[in-house]
Amino acid sequence: MKRRKFIKTTAAAAAATIGMPYILPTGRLFARTNSRLAEHVVFVLFAGGVRQQEAVGMQYLDGSQNERIPGNIMYNMLTGAPPTDKIVYGTDANLAGEIPIPKILNTTLQEQGTLFKEMRATQIGHYGGLNVALQGNTLYSQGLKQKPLNPTIFEYLRRHGGIPASKVWFVGNGIGNSVPLLNHSLHEDYGRLYAANFIAPSVTFSSIGFKHLANAKVYHPEHELDPVYKMKYFLDNNFKNAAQTIGGIGNTFEEKQDIKKFIEATFEKTANNIQIRPPVSGGGDLETIGYACEVLEWFKPTFLTVNLNNVDGCHSNFTGYLRALHRADHGVGFLWDFIQKDPVLKDNTIMIVMPECGRNLNPNPILDHNDWYGYDHSDANARRIFGMMVGPNVPSNSVIGSETNPKGHSVDIALTVADILGLKDTVANVGLVAGNSRSLFDRI
Amino acid sequence: MKYILYALSLLFLFTSCQPEDKYLYEVNEVDVLPVNANKSKQKTIEQFVSILHANLFQKALSADEMVEIRKVIESIGDKELAYEILISNFMNKPGVIIPPDEDMRADIDEFLVDTYKRFFVRFPTEAEKAYMRNFIEADPNVTAELVYFSFALSNEYQFY
Repeated sequence: MKRRKFIKTTAAAAAATIGMPYILPTGRLFARTNSRLAEHVVFVLFAGGVRQQEAVGMQYLDGSQNERIPGNIMYNMLTGAPPTDKIVYGTDANLAGEIPIPKILNTTLQEQGTLFKEMRATQIGHYGGLNVALQGNTLYSQGLKQKPLNPTIFEYLRRHGGIPASKVWFVGNGIGNSVPLLNHSLHEDYGRLYAANFIAPSVTFSSIGFKHLANAKVYHPEHELDPVYKMKYFLDNNFKNAAQTIGGIGNTFEEKQDIKKFIEATFEKTANNIQIRPPVSGGGDLETIGYACEVLEWFKPTFLTVNLNNVDGCHSNFTGYLRALHRADHGVGFLWDFIQKDPVLKDNTIMIVMPECGRNLNPNPILDHNDWYGYDHSDANARRIFGMMVGPNVPSNSVIGSETNPKGHSVDIALTVADILGLKDTVANVGLVAGNSRSLFDRI
Repeated sequence: MKYILYALSLLFLFTSCQPEDKYLYEVNEVDVLPVNANKSKQKTIEQFVSILHANLFQKALSADEMVEIRKVIESIGDKELAYEILISNFMNKPGVIIPPDEDMRADIDEFLVDTYKRFFVRFPTEAEKAYMRNFIEADPNVTAELVYFSFALSNEYQFY
């Protein structure tokens, strides 16, 4: 009898062990495929189209306006001397932009980490470029105003890494250009329930956000919200139609309450003008970075992507582009400094920075108020981009690739993030990332 | 005698099975579907918000406000959460028209019929009515406002 009981118990335990991975709600089937390189990843989509000549080329006006004035205007990120003449990118004094914004970081990110000096963007449009970075796939069939066709890195992490929704964030620069669509794909095996929590602070915490969201009635979670959800559950059970675009993204009840508290607290900080923001701010990308810091501080996310876009003014205003590029560098420096001051994130976060596309070699005919030409993004030069990683396990003071020997693609980011969080092989084995994509760590 | 028995057996054998009469009532066969199965189109954010406002305030939302609300809803990825915050804001505004709790509890069935008609544009089934009635009766914390809240958050309310 004892022997029979022993066999029965052993068989049940074995069946449970085998069956367990298949019933996990996270969809996690196997153990991590490699050890984590850091517990947190911050990906700065240094987006809007950054011309390589003004970025890692450090050519300032020399490479664009026939003015022999080179220099580095991204001196938090890159190592190099700033321009010495015709300073227009700083803050205003007697002349517009004449005072360069002081450095935030004593050691540049290039010196602290690895610079991929010459990468290639797979797409040279904004939305296509963002999709490539987040999906890890070239996906030329991806349409505008269409949710990603293949899973995003957010979904890979949540499904295969079992990461809760409130630990995966996408902070957008706004709601234009289909940016809000990027938090999850329409892929049948992934989708809404594995999405990132998206927020566009420039809208959520704007005057219209205050008008329609800031005065929420507070309901008791147990006595009021609990019956609401129970009734909703009953009503939903009686209605079988569903779509990927309705309903929640898998935030638990507790996570939802936490996000509501975050939104409420951030409204209060914004009303009192004490929200986190870089020393020089004034709207746009730098405000977005400030709110990304609020998200980092509150949720300590495993993965956060923040999207910038102000440099895209380069189509018609080259001076504005230089100012935006200088400010984006200021924002990234501030973000890294903020991470290093946070006791949880410090020394445990890898930051990746990459534009989604570059800009043209030759200008368009549009002149700005300084008689400088604008640049679009449509030629081969627009495929030239850079990338940067900094944090634990990233080689310091390392420069990879050159103009004649490019290393890395924009399609590499998804696998790189997966690599850092221990899921590289799992994500690669799903078979939906591009065949030529690699983790940037494998390019070093 | 023997032959008579054989004859009777044969008689019973041939008369025992009668062809079944077929009645034709001239009614078409139909598949039985849930009462809400015809709702297959998802509301846009604008449609959802303007209908929600009309249901709660019984007056139309201005075009400007509708555009503003669409933007703030788009700015939050978890739409369920975004709508929850929006509805909480609506509930905090003056002018929301919700039946008093006493009226709801005085005639729960009538309240439920009205609520289903208001939000789902249909009558509740007997099963729905029974469940909701029992739920409301069993929990003194359930107010008409919370019932409205749950209907506004439901998936069916997202479709028409």
